[in-house]
Amino acid sequence: MARTLIVEIVTPERIVYTNEVEMVVAPTIDGEIGVLPLHAPLVGALKAGEVRVKQGEAVEWFAVSGGYIQVHEDKVIILADDAEIASQIDVERARQAMAIAKERLSELGGVGDEVDALERDLRWAEVRISVATAH
Amino acid sequence: MANLRDIQKRITSTQSTRQITRTMEMVATAKIRRAQDRIESARPYALAMMEVLGNVAHFTGGASHPLLEEHETRTKVVVIAVSSDRGLCGAFNSNILRLSEQIVREERERGADAGVIAVGKKAIAYFRYRGIEPLASYRDIADKPSILDARSIASRVIDGYVAGEIDAVKIVFNRFKNVADQVPEIHDLLPIRPEVVRAAADELKVNPEYVFEPSASSVLRLLLPTYVETLVYRSLLESAASEQGARRKAMKSATDNAGEMITTLTRTYNRARQGAITNEIAEIVGGAAALEKS
Repeated sequence: MARTLIVEIVTPERIVYTNEVEMVVAPTIDGEIGVLPLHAPLVGALKAGEVRVKQGEAVEWFAVSGGYIQVHEDKVIILADDAEIASQIDVERARQAMAIAKERLSELGGVGDEVDALERDLRWAEVRISVATAH
Repeated sequence: MANLRDIQKRITSTQSTRQITRTMEMVATAKIRRAQDRIESARPYALAMMEVLGNVAHFTGGASHPLLEEHETRTKVVVIAVSSDRGLCGAFNSNILRLSEQIVREERERGADAGVIAVGKKAIAYFRYRGIEPLASYRDIADKPSILDARSIASRVIDGYVAGEIDAVKIVFNRFKNVADQVPEIHDLLPIRPEVVRAAADELKVNPEYVFEPSASSVLRLLLPTYVETLVYRSLLESAASEQGARRKAMKSATDNAGEMITTLTRTYNRARQGAITNEIAEIVGGAAALEKS
């Protein structure tokens, strides 16, 4: 059997996913990286985006809102601020969240303490929608 | 001697009080377990986080970061007091409030300005009453803290610290030692002590050559705020579990006390009843004797 990776996707509140897989793809700040077994030790920062986990023919998709990835000895830990498996994303809720964030942002006109957080919410909603609708 | 009916009334009322405290005790017991589960599920992230932090710290050496640097002057100190929204939990809140106020007083005596961030209605009410208007208050999060709550508290002090408006941040909360024991603790949140980061680095058994994306120092820059968030989150979770522990204990002794009181009252009641009967007999006997004489 081919070598496998152990992947763990954890958020501060729970373990979202853990499994033995063949490949992990994650969105780092500088672009997507794919991790195969025997990958060099790596620590990276993630931006909001899609994480793919491949196991034979099966692929699982996750939306992550940013965080960190650590690869060491065929073990991949993804420390996500927030993460959801594609099949469980509530698109309706994400749309609402997006609408609220957009409205609030246009109200503020891009100034104020809340802007950063709102932009983060907006990106997170966008990522959730795109991950959920694409798969 | 007390009126029989009055004693009866007190017994009934104590019984219903006992019913309530007993229910609260059971509710708290159930909630402790859930709160403990939440602490458990936060652990994997915290551990992995420390590992990553250790790796990054190892490679950045003594890298500087605004959150690691102590400010030259200590003019503004912020205390985050983590209390509960509800009472009836023994000394849970008073410990926290006393400790927090003590820090505020000490810092003020030292000439520094000290402010409070109040978490939980009890802290908000207490500090307002004492004339210390909280810099920020958070309510309705003590029962079921989420990482979002922790993030909003953390980002507030981080922003203040980076901007130079705050020179030190402490967090006061009850640590959940075990079901029966909660220990009030004071932790330094900011500046992050370099020892903490160094200790995380030393703890790693292996230090392979890591590749960093984008670079070790930029990962560190992103990681430190997340580290503070995790600390705050952990404190909130510990406090939530402690609150239920403290309430269970308080309600248990209330239930026990009510039971004792009922026993005493019942005894008094019986004695009074017996006294009344004896009295009646004496009256009848006395009446009969009086009739015989005449």
